[in-house]
Amino acid sequence: MQLKQTSPRNIRRPLAAATCSLLTGVSHAGGLIASGNNWKIDSALMLYAEKDRVQLAEGVLQVGKEIDDDEFVNVRMVADVLTGASPNGAIPIDSAQTFTRPSGEGTYSAAANKTPLDTSFRDLRGALNVEWDKPLSTYQRGIFSASLSSEQDYLSTGIAATFAQDLNQRNTTLTFGLSYNRDSVMPQGGVPVGLSTMPPFPATKTTTGSSKTKNVAEALFGITQVISRQSLMQLNYSWGKSNGYLTDPYKILSVLDSNLSGDLRASNPYVFEKRPDSRAYQSLYWKGVHQFANENVLNLSYRYFWDDWGIQSHTVDVRYRFDFKAHHYLQPHLRYYQQGKADFYRQVLIDGEETTLAAASADYRLGEFVTRTIGLKYGYEFKNGAEINFRMEVITQKGKDQAADAVGKLQNQQLFPNNEAYLLQAGVSLDSDILMKVLRGLFNY
Amino acid sequence: MKIRVLILACSLLLSACSLAPVKPWDRNILAQQKMQLVADPLEIYLDEHTYFSKEASSGGQGVGGGGCGCN
Amino acid sequence: MPRLVRRADYFVGQFAAMASDCEVLIDTDNQALAQSICICAVSEVTRLEHKYSRYRDDNILYRINQGGRMEVDEETARLLDYAQQLHTLSDGLFDVTSGVLRRAWHFDGSDRLPSAEQVEALLPLIGWHKVYWHKPEIHLAAGMEIDFGGIGKEYAADRAVLAVNALLAEQTNHYDQQTPVLVNLGGDLAINGPRRNGAGWQVAFDNGDKQTEGFSLQQGGVATSGDSHRYLQKDGVRYSHVLDPRSGWPVKHAPATVTVVANSCTDAGMLSTLALLHGAEAEAFLRGQGVPYWVRTEC
Repeated sequence: MQLKQTSPRNIRRPLAAATCSLLTGVSHAGGLIASGNNWKIDSALMLYAEKDRVQLAEGVLQVGKEIDDDEFVNVRMVADVLTGASPNGAIPIDSAQTFTRPSGEGTYSAAANKTPLDTSFRDLRGALNVEWDKPLSTYQRGIFSASLSSEQDYLSTGIAATFAQDLNQRNTTLTFGLSYNRDSVMPQGGVPVGLSTMPPFPATKTTTGSSKTKNVAEALFGITQVISRQSLMQLNYSWGKSNGYLTDPYKILSVLDSNLSGDLRASNPYVFEKRPDSRAYQSLYWKGVHQFANENVLNLSYRYFWDDWGIQSHTVDVRYRFDFKAHHYLQPHLRYYQQGKADFYRQVLIDGEETTLAAASADYRLGEFVTRTIGLKYGYEFKNGAEINFRMEVITQKGKDQAADAVGKLQNQQLFPNNEAYLLQAGVSLDSDILMKVLRGLFNY
Repeated sequence: MKIRVLILACSLLLSACSLAPVKPWDRNILAQQKMQLVADPLEIYLDEHTYFSKEASSGGQGVGGGGCGCN
Repeated sequence: MPRLVRRADYFVGQFAAMASDCEVLIDTDNQALAQSICICAVSEVTRLEHKYSRYRDDNILYRINQGGRMEVDEETARLLDYAQQLHTLSDGLFDVTSGVLRRAWHFDGSDRLPSAEQVEALLPLIGWHKVYWHKPEIHLAAGMEIDFGGIGKEYAADRAVLAVNALLAEQTNHYDQQTPVLVNLGGDLAINGPRRNGAGWQVAFDNGDKQTEGFSLQQGGVATSGDSHRYLQKDGVRYSHVLDPRSGWPVKHAPATVTVVANSCTDAGMLSTLALLHGAEAEAFLRGQGVPYWVRTEC
């Protein structure tokens, strides 16, 4: 039998803390041991407002914790509320127009020469994403996540896994990711039959059931390379495929008279849009991060995206962070996005086409346009590691009208619904123990 | 266009391969939060969500994160 | 002034300070840089030697030991705080007031032990808990003394490396590769990182019988405590120079010397000193700390 031996106390950690404050003058009272047990909390509130259209308030709360050596759990909770009006796909004409609400319970109208906007939009969304980031071996990590997003008329569920392999003394990282999403759409008033007419109120649209599903699978291959002590870059190739109901059940197209005068046809001049039931897309994404000698950081990215609907797009995104003394920073942001149209994008249909075409959509997001973003972010880092930041961005979308669709007097109309939006965001990041201290201070206990 | 983009990307990677590896003790700058590929995850999440609902393209940076009915 | 010599792929500056042979190793090919680093390190060591030497009567230590209530500067306050923390951490084994025992003990290899009464008479003058210390004020009772002999050299080595780092940060771009530097104050070593080629500094020490053991130091510091030449011997019993401040008598069965590698030279010095004070338990204490160590027990 062995007697329990009282071994001398391990004093290495408190000793190291004491020596650290002796040598540097910075006190680490208890800090060396306590840290790592806290939750890291990031939160942000975003207000997004389009001129005369949609308004969105979105709150995000993300909490993360190191649950084991180098093993992390992150939970992100999102809530947003959307109100306002959205272009329904119909074109502005020289007289007032009346449309049936998607629910079939009433109408809304558009004034002469105004882009028709569906004012019924009001939606609440809640979303949850849980991520588990874990070392698989010395040079391998696995990141596993599950997500859920729920709205009144939409439910999205997804899972994803990313594997990362470090090579070359951790200067190169290869990543391989897979994701799968299964979504259901439950449109107000049922799922309209594609390219069927929107009958005048109080008649209701022809439907094919009350809900539809769509599946999305994505794969990603990436390489991240450390270039020097102050720069690194990443290159990703992604491939994705969507199947199922890819149509927007609320979007319609205007149908013109076959005389090509530019007038709507006399009866039932609106039909519901219809998109193909599959879409395969790919993208190449490059990003570089570089820190200059003055400690400012450039973050530059480029994406080329293309799909089998005929859409191609280029995105360039630049963020440049200026660090100032006393923990302030300013970060201007510029983004340029240019998109070519989908093969089945039409701003209008001519009477009869709705019976011959396999697919057609006037959704401006499938058209030919440019998005420009200019923004500025300000951040302040506290000594305890907490950060607050604010940003404001101005987003403009400007589209190109299709010459073939602008027939007759439509040449005098702005068919593409150009858009201008403002984004405001405030964010706070801190550690849970700092939060507790602040709360205790606030309530004096 | 596609071919030109691919050639650009490949040459960038090739130049990376010929570099001397950065040693662990020289990683103080790369370890800073502002030097991460995604320095502010919430900002990127909100941007991606916004542009997903306004444009036909999405993704590229990674997989997962969840969908929504906004497109 | 230090003497700067170019070796194969580095520079060495040699100087004498704190009763030891000292050197600064600078891993660079730039002689001007090596020169300024060397001067920086040496001036920091001499500054500290001047400030905390117990053989001078013109420094702060002397004024503290004159007794009476007085205010101390920030650096001295940090050293006193440290002394207090280590006194607590070591349950009184480490005590900066124990130097008065030198009045009774002279470890000259002879058999002249002090009498029990002599030692007993000194004990009231020993004990950190008897010191009034409320930063920045200190008040020593008459007859009491403090000295930083137990940490001075290790602290100086770490401070010299920090001074060099501050100089480098000022003079070079922050993304230039750091110039690797090693400060050696009579066997107590501090470094600011591995060598330019990424390898550690090759450290060898004389383990007594001319056999040289070596190891590679990537970061942190090394310190050795103990002195096999300082002892007393009477009636076949060997008395080491390591005195327990609580009894005033030598610690029994203490190793001759202990060498420790730790996060900093100061940490290494504290661990090796505390190991000696643990006497026969020295190795058990060191094992419990999880640091590399070498213990020599030969006479």
